[in-house]
Amino acid sequence: MKIVMFVGRRLIRLVLCLFAVSLLTFGLLQLAPGDFAGIQEAGGGNVSLAQQATSETRSELSDRYGAEVPIWQQYTTFMAGALTGDMGPSYRYPHRTVEGIIASAFPISAALAVTATLVAVGVALPIGILAAVRRRTILDSGTMFVATVGNGLPNYLAGLVLVLIFGVALGLLPLYGWKGPEHMVLPTLALAIAPIGVLARYVRSSMLENLRQEYVVTARAKGGRESAVLVGHVLRNSLMPLVTVVGPMFASLATGTIFVEQIFGIPGLGHYFTQAAVSRDMPLLMGTTLFFAALLMVMNLLVDLSYAAVDPRVRTDLGLAAEGPRRKDDVGDGIAHEEDGGHVRSEGAATRGAV
Amino acid sequence: MATIEQPVATATGDAAVVGGQPTSEWTRRWKRFLRNRLAVVSLAFIIVVAVVALASPLIAPYGYATIHRGQELLPSFTEGFLMGTDPLGRDVFSRLVYSIRTALFIAIAAELISLAVAFVVGLVAGYKGGKYDQILMAGTDVMYAFPGYLFAVLLVAVMGRSTWAIILALSIASWVGQSRLLRAQIMRLKTMEYVEAGRSMGAGGWTLVMRYMVPNALGPVLVTVSFGIPANMLAESGLAILGLGVAPPTPSLGAMIIDGYAYVLNHPHLIAWPTIIFIAIMIAFTFVGDGVRDAFDVDET
Repeated sequence: MKIVMFVGRRLIRLVLCLFAVSLLTFGLLQLAPGDFAGIQEAGGGNVSLAQQATSETRSELSDRYGAEVPIWQQYTTFMAGALTGDMGPSYRYPHRTVEGIIASAFPISAALAVTATLVAVGVALPIGILAAVRRRTILDSGTMFVATVGNGLPNYLAGLVLVLIFGVALGLLPLYGWKGPEHMVLPTLALAIAPIGVLARYVRSSMLENLRQEYVVTARAKGGRESAVLVGHVLRNSLMPLVTVVGPMFASLATGTIFVEQIFGIPGLGHYFTQAAVSRDMPLLMGTTLFFAALLMVMNLLVDLSYAAVDPRVRTDLGLAAEGPRRKDDVGDGIAHEEDGGHVRSEGAATRGAV
Repeated sequence: MATIEQPVATATGDAAVVGGQPTSEWTRRWKRFLRNRLAVVSLAFIIVVAVVALASPLIAPYGYATIHRGQELLPSFTEGFLMGTDPLGRDVFSRLVYSIRTALFIAIAAELISLAVAFVVGLVAGYKGGKYDQILMAGTDVMYAFPGYLFAVLLVAVMGRSTWAIILALSIASWVGQSRLLRAQIMRLKTMEYVEAGRSMGAGGWTLVMRYMVPNALGPVLVTVSFGIPANMLAESGLAILGLGVAPPTPSLGAMIIDGYAYVLNHPHLIAWPTIIFIAIMIAFTFVGDGVRDAFDVDET
């Protein structure tokens, strides 16, 4: 019952946050408004796209967002459309609807993020385990050094290095476009490199922490083979907290493909967000922004719930989430905030979201 | 910034004069930092880069917009053009040096602004608590639902591609985390016994915060600064890659990279040099940040 209350509270907050984000975005766009006609004029080389607009979409756009329509009405029209899945045509791509663009572009970004997460986990797990088991050897310090360097490599710089090596020097892989599976390799690796560094270090320290526990001594004393102790006991316990890292990592990858999409010319959601921002395409920008924000918050909620699923201790913790501190930097609420913007932050790091 | 760097500077002075007798917490931190050789070498590298960037008009052989007609797309190590020239015949080395200056200036300015905002928000929310806290934290909640770089993209799209618009966008995108950090620090320190002692001796709110709590909250803040500056550099060039960086002809690493990408197959030097130098700077900052964090013994989370 508590969990239902918890999810309910969080969903209410999610809706309020989305509402605030929509007001913020819409308000900002009013400071420097773009309109359909303006974009057509300023479109430069892209004018042809705007000219594809039929007279029907033109009248639909001016009905919705024309100069004579009051600003508040433009906002409510859009928001009502967003709720019913009818956000109307985009300024920049007048022959397409905003929901159509999101529906076709998001799977591309999501595919990139999912494969990158899988690659990152698949590579980082063995590295981290090996480093922990062979602690204080050259294998440990060597892999951890590489992991630290990788961790400091934001995705688009990592992508450029991959381009120079595999695309230019070796000529193995295509550098630009989105046609076949071979076009996925470099962008996926570019996205996976920083997470590999983060995860490998995390797996290592988690393994080491568990290796120090007394149950390991017990397991060994009972005559378990070392491999059985490692896999059956230590690894199992070390993997549980991994979800706390992989979840937010996936969320930040899903919204963080924007730079990689730009460099590799991938028509994902980040690409359309950029196009919408550059051309001040109000409907498309509102649509993509709200979609990103909702995605991020739902992911955070799922991550918190999955904590509770794997670790009974967190369950009580989440029950208390409204009153008690769970994390040092986050006193008083239960949200697992994405940190390190930049790569994971950053790349978020690319740009830093948080600390 | 001054308040943060001053103690470090005096600490170094002390160490030199006294001959290594740890006198203050800052001396001990500085010594702990010095023991990390990787971090020290990285810091030295960053200082060299910063000096080169500051002195770019003296170091760059040509202006960043100087066009050499008939010498377009020269390869690296051509006489007079260490890193070759771009499609307009501009010297890649000169543009790179000026780009680093742009990036560093924007990154440091944005960090200072977001730090100033974070100090106000964090101290008020942490010390006053109650309503102030709820209002300020509701604001930061909304910002958390909005990844910083997406917000920066939006802001630059609205404000235009001027240097100050970008600085503002980056600082608005990054003050949230620092405010939360400072707030958590102040809330933690507020219950400490020495603060209680100060209060019982008659120290008022302002004195209590500035003299008793802020000095002890600076450690984690310095750590976020050492990670924040490279993150801002990255964001600046990221914006340029999206076509939202400083307006040309002001050079930017991101603009050099995305402009050069069209020529990458036949003229890889156009992106190889900016990428290599940029990565070296980023990695150096990572090691310095790790070193600072270890010196302050701040948790990784």
